[in-house]
Amino acid sequence: MVSVKLVNLSKYFHNVKAVDNLNLEIKDGEFVALLGPSGCGKTTTLLMIAGIYKPTNGYIYFDNRLMNDVPPKDRNVGMVFQSYALYPHMSVFDNIAFPLKLKKRPKDEIRRKVKEVADLLGIGELLDRKPSQLSGGQQQRVALARALVKEPDIFLMDEPLSNLDAKLRIQMRAELKKMQKTFKITTIYVTHDQVEAMTMADRIAVLNKGVLQQYGSPDELYNRPKNIFVAGFIGSVPMNFIRGALKRTNGDYILEGLDYLFKIPRTYHDVLKDIEVGTEVILGVRPEHVDIGFGEYSGKVYVVEPLGRDQIIHIDIGGEIIRALAPGDYKVEEGKDIKFSFKEDKIHIFDKKSGEAYI
Amino acid sequence: MRFSPKKFFVSNSFTRKLHKGYLYVFLLPSLGFIVVFFLIPVILTFLIGLTKMDYSFRWDWIGLGNYIYILRDKWAYKILGNTLFYVFTTLAFFNVGMALFISIATTHINDKIGSIFRSIWLLPRITPSTVYALLWLWAARGEANSLFNWLTSIFGLHPIDWKLTYPWLLVILVNGFVGTSFGMIIFTAALKSIPEDYIRAAKVDGASTLQIIRYVELPLIKWPLLFVTAYQTLSLLTSYEYILLVTDGGPGLYTTEVWALYSYHLAFAQYGGIVKFGYGAALATILVIIGLIMSVIYWKVFRFRELMVEPKIEV
Amino acid sequence: MRIVPLLKNSIVYIILLLVTLPIILLYTLLFLQSISVNLNGVIPNGFTLDHWSILSTGNIRVPGTTTQYYPNLYLVASNTFILAVIIAFTEVVLSSLAGYALSRYKFAGRSQILTLTLILHAFPGITLLIALFYVLNALGLYNSLIGVVIVKVALDLPLGIWIMKGFFDGIPWDIEMSALVDGCSRLGAWWRVIMPNVRNGLMAVLIFGFLSGWSEFIYVLTFIASQDYWTFSMFVYALTTGEYSYINPGITATVAIIYMIPVIIFFLFAQKYLLRIQIAGKSTV
Ligand SMILES: Nc1ncnc2c1ncn2[C@@H]1O[C@H](COP(=O)(O)OP(=O)(O)OP(=O)(O)O)[C@@H](O)[C@H]1O
Ligand SMILES: [Mg+2]
Repeated sequence: MVSVKLVNLSKYFHNVKAVDNLNLEIKDGEFVALLGPSGCGKTTTLLMIAGIYKPTNGYIYFDNRLMNDVPPKDRNVGMVFQSYALYPHMSVFDNIAFPLKLKKRPKDEIRRKVKEVADLLGIGELLDRKPSQLSGGQQQRVALARALVKEPDIFLMDEPLSNLDAKLRIQMRAELKKMQKTFKITTIYVTHDQVEAMTMADRIAVLNKGVLQQYGSPDELYNRPKNIFVAGFIGSVPMNFIRGALKRTNGDYILEGLDYLFKIPRTYHDVLKDIEVGTEVILGVRPEHVDIGFGEYSGKVYVVEPLGRDQIIHIDIGGEIIRALAPGDYKVEEGKDIKFSFKEDKIHIFDKKSGEAYI
Repeated sequence: MRFSPKKFFVSNSFTRKLHKGYLYVFLLPSLGFIVVFFLIPVILTFLIGLTKMDYSFRWDWIGLGNYIYILRDKWAYKILGNTLFYVFTTLAFFNVGMALFISIATTHINDKIGSIFRSIWLLPRITPSTVYALLWLWAARGEANSLFNWLTSIFGLHPIDWKLTYPWLLVILVNGFVGTSFGMIIFTAALKSIPEDYIRAAKVDGASTLQIIRYVELPLIKWPLLFVTAYQTLSLLTSYEYILLVTDGGPGLYTTEVWALYSYHLAFAQYGGIVKFGYGAALATILVIIGLIMSVIYWKVFRFRELMVEPKIEV
Repeated sequence: MRIVPLLKNSIVYIILLLVTLPIILLYTLLFLQSISVNLNGVIPNGFTLDHWSILSTGNIRVPGTTTQYYPNLYLVASNTFILAVIIAFTEVVLSSLAGYALSRYKFAGRSQILTLTLILHAFPGITLLIALFYVLNALGLYNSLIGVVIVKVALDLPLGIWIMKGFFDGIPWDIEMSALVDGCSRLGAWWRVIMPNVRNGLMAVLIFGFLSGWSEFIYVLTFIASQDYWTFSMFVYALTTGEYSYINPGITATVAIIYMIPVIIFFLFAQKYLLRIQIAGKSTV
């Protein structure tokens, strides 16, 4: 097992900056997710770590060894591709055995290990089949088995669950996490699904347009997003963003919007005192941190989306709609006035221009 | 020991270059063949065209003499007319016309039967030219028991020698039945790739089969049509194998002679054994230039450049 | 069932059949000619297998002479076969190597070489006959099968490379990347993972090369002088030209059918490859 360090890593394709000056440290045995929207450079990063792409700039270290010019075959990484990349002309057995054959391991050892890992993943019955005769979920397990069988130092996974149906995805999520914890293999997991990243990873690196936005534990990303991009990307119901200007009246800070005013709790005054009055800011608050039925603010119920256990109540506050998460049995009527408030310690304030978080 | 990345890179980029040496092993043999037996002949054709070379292979330079001679060659005009007639007739009736008919007809009937018809049309294409020409030569014989005469006798017509009476008909039929397959395959592939939904939508709108062909299918295979037309124009312009086998330019003097065949005759089969490599090459140069220009045009117009996507592995 | 569409449909079938009839008749005629005493149109007057007796010795007398013989049929067959096989294998090897390099590597000159092959693949090589004659003569390869092989290979290669490059392009990059991660070198991945997945392309080019060599006529006619190097195309050409060309059509038809055997085999069992070759472009007519 090794640790991975990316130093000022960049990859340009002509003038597209696929990865831009990325710095990342992944500890030995850690499960790190690379999270970001499509095209943000996740796969490119992974392929540089695997040695398929040469970095335009920067360094890749495994432990303290510089890897930039080590060919992929000498890096001892296992990789699961988004498309699974099973070899169409080989049986499942040969697919899984391939990395071992290349290492020139004895035949009986190969047989034993393939059997072992195949049984572990529940595909022991499929060894004689060709990849084209497998379902998506089975193909995915074969790809996993092939990456695991060589006992890699680093495990790279590129959206391995994105081609599975919802139910299988949830099941595999748990299995993968358990497996990683059992083998303690350093794992880098690429996904654009924040739920996957939040539930599986020890730490998450959020990327946007090739630039690292924030690197931290799921908890940190959820509670202390560094900027508006991370705040909007993390969370199953997106955070509310309320535009306004920062004003000061009677010693209190308030956010003044089109038709609304929000008071900013005193606990944050220290942070805000350096900001010029009148600066355009954005107030962020997650729907689950909007309490309804009582409180100092009010609006009109615009529409209600029932989700079963919960419901999302859209509240028109005049020029802006905010979403609140309420229990499914809470009674509201569209068009009626409703009172609400924000959980004081859960609000965020971002600079409108830079998107950086003040709070 | 402290690590020096810079030193590391220098040494490695060097080994990487060596490492890719095998690329040249992959490419050089093909390039060698193409350069020596394809590119150099292109240049040589042009150069020989500036000489009055004969079987002694002497380079007697005469500048543009051959080209001036073409302008004064009374046969050249007749042959040019022949060539244009041959190319456009064959193209219109078979390489594009028949091909279009076969592909539309066979895609609108039972799929199995349709593909059997298309298979049959492929047969002339893969039959050795000498055998294929023989089939037509026999069929067109003047005897009463030849295929053509046997068929026309059903309508009470007298036997004739088809090759002597209608040489152009024979030339165009022979070439046309071979030439149809190329367009047929391309058009069929294009027609089959039209999304079923377009056709269904037109049907829902109440279009008849003919209207669907006219207003949905034909406009959608515009590009393949242009492609086949351009491609086959060049092939027809430069091909003479079947004419050589069937009429050899006859009957009589240059009745069905085309430009490419004229060049061949001058160089290799001149009456009386006079070999005119120089003049033949000058005639061929004109075809070579047309060929090069058209090849470049295909490359531009048909976006072959899009086939040149960049590789993704950088090891 | 409505009558009108049915009627329309049968009109289409009839027209299709009519325009296709010449092909059907021509090939039927060839077959019947080889097994009948005489033909009236397509009606045989009595069947015979006599014409096929040429297979016993392979010797066929030149019509109009008493003692002159054409080159032995078996010599001609083996010449043709050798020519076709060498052409096919050379084209497969060279075009798969070059096609792979062009499809999968970045190197200086790549786009120029690609442009060149793409332009040349549409270019009619036949127009270069005189220059090729000059080159072969200068290299001392006139009147040798090797000369014909080299010319054929060179002129077919741009198309072969293009076909192969298409097949290589069709292999997902993920698979090759995966092979590298699993421990292959670039060459190892080529041999173990890429090549097995372009078998269809190799087959297509092999068949294309074989048929191209097997059927070749003009280059043999032009570059071969000695009867010892005749191929089937020359043989059939000799049998069908000249005054006595219809003296013994049964024998000519038999030779032609023997000549057609590989073509028929490919036609019946390898049509998907033939279509592939055709779509890739180029044809002499
Ligand atoms: N080989 C390449 N050549 C040119 N541009 C590329 C190449 N590979 C990636 N890019 C570009 O680099 C950017 C990042 O691509 P990358 O595949 O890393 O995104 P990703 O985060 O994996 O996205 P997705 O979630 O869609 O897989 C994109 O803009 C992409 O178009
Ligand atoms: Mg990706």
